[in-house]
Amino acid sequence: MASPENAELAASGPGRAGRSLWADALRRLRRDRIAVLCFAVILVYVVIAIVSPLLFPRWSDEHDYDNINLAPSGRHWLGTDALGRSVFQKTLLGANTSLTVAFMANVIAVPLGMVLGALAGYYAGWVDDLIVWLYTTLASIPGIILLVAIRFAFKEVVLFEDSFFKMDLDEGMAGVYLALGVMSWIGTCRLVRAEVMKIRELDYVLAARAIGTRGIVTLFRHVFPNVLHIGIIQFSLGFVGAIKAEVMLSFLGLGVGTGVPSWGRMINAARMELVVGRWWQLTSAVAAMFFLILALNIFGDRLRDAFDPRLRTA
Amino acid sequence: MAVFILRRLLQAAFTVFGVMLLSFLLFRVMPGDVSARYVSGKLGKEARQAWLEKHRLNLHLLYNKDVGFRPWRKEFYDAQFFWHLHDSATFRSRSYKTNERLTDIIADRAKYSLAITVPAMALGWLLALVVASVVAYFRGTWIDHVGVFVSVLGMCIPFLAYMIGGQWLMFQIYPPAAWGLHNPFNIYVPVSIAVIAGLGASVRFYRTVILDEANRDYVRTALAKGVPLPGVMFKHVLKNCMLPILTQLVMVIPFLIMGSLLLEQFFGINGLGDLLLTSINDRDVPVVTGLTFLTAVIYTLALLLTDILYAVFDPRVRLR
Repeated sequence: MASPENAELAASGPGRAGRSLWADALRRLRRDRIAVLCFAVILVYVVIAIVSPLLFPRWSDEHDYDNINLAPSGRHWLGTDALGRSVFQKTLLGANTSLTVAFMANVIAVPLGMVLGALAGYYAGWVDDLIVWLYTTLASIPGIILLVAIRFAFKEVVLFEDSFFKMDLDEGMAGVYLALGVMSWIGTCRLVRAEVMKIRELDYVLAARAIGTRGIVTLFRHVFPNVLHIGIIQFSLGFVGAIKAEVMLSFLGLGVGTGVPSWGRMINAARMELVVGRWWQLTSAVAAMFFLILALNIFGDRLRDAFDPRLRTA
Repeated sequence: MAVFILRRLLQAAFTVFGVMLLSFLLFRVMPGDVSARYVSGKLGKEARQAWLEKHRLNLHLLYNKDVGFRPWRKEFYDAQFFWHLHDSATFRSRSYKTNERLTDIIADRAKYSLAITVPAMALGWLLALVVASVVAYFRGTWIDHVGVFVSVLGMCIPFLAYMIGGQWLMFQIYPPAAWGLHNPFNIYVPVSIAVIAGLGASVRFYRTVILDEANRDYVRTALAKGVPLPGVMFKHVLKNCMLPILTQLVMVIPFLIMGSLLLEQFFGINGLGDLLLTSINDRDVPVVTGLTFLTAVIYTLALLLTDILYAVFDPRVRLR
């Protein structure tokens, strides 16, 4: 086993002393006014997502059949839905659903993709073959078939029943983010694998190996930190994909359960509502999504530019 | 070259096998008894058993457990999974629901999907390329900034909203201009929705590709020699950009055949996407797995084709 000092020496390697990639990227991001603005917008959404369920805990039961489908007014800021519930509150609560689904899907997908990608890139041979086979197989099936199939497979499934971690895969959000999570790691895996294959050949890795560090230790202590930024970038970009996928699933009737307020269900409801002139559900859901996705898109791009100036896009 | 193609074909075979195994398992773990949907309960247990036997659902799932794990024996392969592989590979699958052959169903439905996706892809590709060229040509100016910003804005609206809004808008402008049963020729409504919804992402991607190419040394040399900018852009840069752009196009083709599931669902178009969704709902497993098999095969072949195209058109790429 190598001593920690040796390992640190090997990890720091040649290059600019004192300023890490992370500090560098953070500095670039902080200077970027648009990135800061987008981050602020994302933070506002996160706060709304956390606070709104505390403010309106009983929203889904507040049926008011005397005031269904009201247009926006002073009393109902964004009107009411088909059960007389406030669309304004529904929109705020939708942030919770969207962000939870997107966050959890990426919490599953990104680490999965990173670990598998790192293993495939570092160990080559049969490990690589197996992992590449796995993701080519998944990529060859149109994503939507896979999503729909997984959602159907989750029908009537409840995990960890009677415990604190109860997960209703059919009606709750858990089914949606699990399905999204297990199928959206491919992009991350590909990127990490390619990067690890490059890093593996660098001198400092050779040095770490030469002093007798074990393979798995080299990989996770010396190589892995150098691909972590890919994970962060993929995380921010994956958010957008997951939010859009949630809407798509709601449209197909496979989204979150009936009691859960979600933007996807609101837009889906507008299919029938718009023709009779009820525009408020559609507009508020689309507007809420629009600003969140816009902020996430721009922030993701800036994040990528900050971490990897070579990859500068738009 | 031949060795490369052979090796890739072998890999493709493994991939398709994986797709078959995965789709088979996914649709087998769906809860519920399939036979209950297709055989009336009044007919009794025997009828149901007969139906199961007819579709070989009484066999073991992955391999014949009666002979044990002995792959060298012929009886080993007498199991649901291998019959499913056999039927798919020989195009003999039949729908549970209508007992039609899958090939006939697909031939019948594919034209509706293609009628939407082919014009949508061609138009979208052309439009995106033109816009991206213009935007890249004026890089750094306000035209570029506005173009990129509008593309990003377009990417932020969910596809669903495009469909609902587009149809509603057409109806507001002039009712017969919208898509409907009495106006089945108004196919331009779904097509243009698909084009517009996809435009933002494509423009951004093509612009990146074009700018990548425009920053290369040979472009600087050409400009230094006095070749006018439009000449460089359209003669050299665009030609060299075609490779990544065409690659991306080839990769999309298999998913075109599936049709746009959402569009077909919303506009009630009888294409393959619609078929897929109703088949999943009806537990018509042969149809679903057959469609998955079809896409997987075309996708892997398209991947192989792009690799070969790369080697043919770019002498720097060597196939190993």
